Amino acid sequence: MPQILSTKEANLFRQVIRDYEEKRYRAGLKAAEQILKRNPKHGDTMSMKALIMNAQGKTEEAFNLAKEALKVDFKSHICWHVYGILYRTNKNFEEAIKAYKFALKLEPESQQIQRDLAILQVQTRDYEGYVQSRFAMLKARPQLRQNWTALAIAHHLEGNLQEAERILTTYEKSVSVAPSKTDFENSEALLYKNSIIAEQGETERALEHLEQECKKCLDRLAVMELRARYLAELGRKEEAETAYRALIDRNPDHTDYYRRLVDVLGLTAEDEAAQKAIFDEYSAKYPRSDAARRLPLDFLTGDEFRAAAKAYLSLMFNKGVPSTFANLKHLYSDSFKKDTLPSLAEEYLQEAEGSNAEASSDSSKGVGAALFFLAQHYNYHMSRDLTKALEYVEKAIQLDPKSVDFQMTKARIFKHQGDIAKAAEAMDQARLLDTKDRYINTKAAKYQLRNNENEKALNTLGLFTRAETVGGPLADLIDMQAMWFLTEDGEAWQRRGNVALALKRYHTVLNIFDIWQEDQFDFHSFSLRKGQVRAYVDMIRWEDKLREHPFYFRAALDAVKLYLSMYDKPEGVNGANGNNANGEDAAEKKKAAKKAKKEAQKAEKEAAERAAKQNPNKAQKDKEEEVKKKDDDPNGVKLAETKDPLGDAMKFLEPLLQFSPKNIEGQIAGFEVYIRRKKYVLAAKCLKAAQALDENHVKVQELVATMQKTMDGVLESLAPKIQEALKTELA
Amino acid sequence: MDIRLLRPSDIPLIQHANLENLPENYFLKYYLYHALSWPQLSFVAVDVSRPAKTPYDYPKIVGYVLAKMEEEPTDGVQHGHITSLSVMRTHRRLGIAEKLMRQSQQAMVEAFNARYVSLHVRVSNQAAIHLYRNTLKFETEKTEPKYYADGEDAFCMKLDLDFIKQQILEAEKAEDEQDKKNNGSEEKTKEDQDEGEPVGDVGRDPEQDKKIKVKVGRGLGVGELVERDESKH
Repeated sequence: MPQILSTKEANLFRQVIRDYEEKRYRAGLKAAEQILKRNPKHGDTMSMKALIMNAQGKTEEAFNLAKEALKVDFKSHICWHVYGILYRTNKNFEEAIKAYKFALKLEPESQQIQRDLAILQVQTRDYEGYVQSRFAMLKARPQLRQNWTALAIAHHLEGNLQEAERILTTYEKSVSVAPSKTDFENSEALLYKNSIIAEQGETERALEHLEQECKKCLDRLAVMELRARYLAELGRKEEAETAYRALIDRNPDHTDYYRRLVDVLGLTAEDEAAQKAIFDEYSAKYPRSDAARRLPLDFLTGDEFRAAAKAYLSLMFNKGVPSTFANLKHLYSDSFKKDTLPSLAEEYLQEAEGSNAEASSDSSKGVGAALFFLAQHYNYHMSRDLTKALEYVEKAIQLDPKSVDFQMTKARIFKHQGDIAKAAEAMDQARLLDTKDRYINTKAAKYQLRNNENEKALNTLGLFTRAETVGGPLADLIDMQAMWFLTEDGEAWQRRGNVALALKRYHTVLNIFDIWQEDQFDFHSFSLRKGQVRAYVDMIRWEDKLREHPFYFRAALDAVKLYLSMYDKPEGVNGANGNNANGEDAAEKKKAAKKAKKEAQKAEKEAAERAAKQNPNKAQKDKEEEVKKKDDDPNGVKLAETKDPLGDAMKFLEPLLQFSPKNIEGQIAGFEVYIRRKKYVLAAKCLKAAQALDENHVKVQELVATMQKTMDGVLESLAPKIQEALKTELA
Repeated sequence: MDIRLLRPSDIPLIQHANLENLPENYFLKYYLYHALSWPQLSFVAVDVSRPAKTPYDYPKIVGYVLAKMEEEPTDGVQHGHITSLSVMRTHRRLGIAEKLMRQSQQAMVEAFNARYVSLHVRVSNQAAIHLYRNTLKFETEKTEPKYYADGEDAFCMKLDLDFIKQQILEAEKAEDEQDKKNNGSEEKTKEDQDEGEPVGDVGRDPEQDKKIKVKVGRGLGVGELVERDESKH
């Protein structure tokens, strides 16, 4: 039987809860101790104490105490609730859900437990459970619109569109007073319902609903875009044309509107002149629109192309638009256009020379811009001639020695020549031309990393990171989730043979993706309060495939490859790179590792000194938080000491295969891991997937041979079931 | 180059563009907070010309404007605020920043009835100041000393958005007249039913008074997200 508290102690217990909620942990603990002195087996107090300890970072003790509490009072919803919270704060959502369900069984009326459970369910994509929870919450408080919307979202996410729509309609019918025109929640809910109708494929009904119910919705752009789309889908061409024209008037730089306009006008690729006329109309109407001038270059051919390209290039050169080449290089898949563009730039140069016009005071315009274009042209992989590229860029630099853009391109040319050191140096020269610009600073640091100068790069970046961040530039870049840096830095360490720091960086990327996944947590309730439902659903769908992002893929693939090489050369930290790490190499790498460690220590010391200089009150506060955040393996030494590199690789590999199955590099890496782990069926699956993507890939042929050889050796020894599965996979 | 509304899936590369370009950086969650609170207000410029490298490419962001509504305006007037605006130096001179700003300003008025938009800019950032002051017609309200982490001062700038409101009203009027012509006059009374500004706390949640802080971003005028607490009742 649970112990009963006296009135005074019961008050004290309420005080504990208040203390916890207001983060007065020390006071809360003291009050809890006071209760426990007289009632050592009071489960609820023990639980609250555990909760406070957890908040202070004493996770293990907190769990132990919470378990004790459950032992003495397993029928207390508070004990189960706290147990759930502990799991939740430690990101074990599955266990948290179980605990919450127990708590809810004991206290079915608790809104708070129900709500917490619902959030966990949607976070873990347990939509069936989420629907149940949202239904219960709606029943408890049907007067709140967001409870209706939430249930509709739950059905929607579960894939039950009709039910989602029905719920929204039921609410609408229950309201007697028409919502105000400025009621944003109403406006959004209507558009949400409209999107659900459209998602069911009922375009006609969606259009009708949009025109009748959503006409005054506050998100004007959405209404206009949806209407245009529906009209086009329904083949109501004239109205669709008007709708797309209105959208272009609103934003003449959105390429999609032009494409759809051309589409509803029924124009095909052959109707060059008719298409061109539309774009001419808009470039006259909106002289500042780039899209209207540039897009015809995509479909025009022959002399028409030449004329239009000439006009476009002249305009861009005269204005000195630095992105001219970047905006046109996609045309290079057409060899005529690939030849025409540089010859037009040459022509422009000749004409400029011939006219002997007064040189512009801004040398990034006119001749300078044309030279710049040609330098980029010859630097581009589809039209590469690095000698010429260098000639052009030197001419441009002569014209304007202070141009960051020109100097930057020079560095890029060196990189393509394969001289990484020279490239890094040139990029740093570019940086010095504008030390207040972070863009060029970033580029310079990136090139330093490519040149394996990790320390120097960090110093460069440190010119822009926040000075007061404890731990210096590195800590700031990690805090700010600078994926590009972590990946490049890791790769550089890996090239230098420092497995520990390389692994550390890749794991940091992995952790940041975990954070990005957790970031949605607060929005499950926040978005309902804000009423911005469509954006929320968009976010959920994006989060579902979060790890297909190239940021993830690159770092994860790096990590898997590194773990593979660690497995193949277990003799030590030095086998990270290359197949023949000889003694000399090893010594050098060891030296590098030692140096890196020293650097890290130095940085830490500096950071500590900086921290000490801070406002003492603030420092105190930071410290308390810091205890929790302290990294017990800042340099990745423990990561590098792993006894199971292949097991560790799995953490990176699984999302890679799950979210980017169409990337052949991932399948190849998967094969390499699985074959070493003797998971032959899984290896065969990866091989098959790789073959389907590109049978002629050099590496794929290699894998086929490896598979064959491995099978010859082991097939007989495998269980019949596995043999069978393998034969099916490899058939 | 293409200018369009921001999508949640753009956020990693927006964050990347911000880190590459500006010294004021934010967690991904802070971008999410904008995208999910005022999804109508933030826009991106993307490089659509890049050939895809993998089946999982995301469009490269060459410019963005991250905007919000002031949640608790000290002056009590609904207004928007520009949290961050950036265009890659490789994509300048195409007017991208201006175009992004205009799209955002339009939506601020339409969706949230913003009366003005405010922003901070480094006193040394000549190009940006020129854009705001000369092109977009912002006015400098005051100088805020040491606004930035590195100690630099900021100009607080403001643009009255009444001109957009007027344009909208005129367009609506024209549309109504068109409707009248098309449908006869019986529709008119219906249209008039719900006119004018919101009075009092329209759409405001009566329970809004209790608040907790939800951690979202750090420093730089970001700090913590003030939100209503549902957990206490």
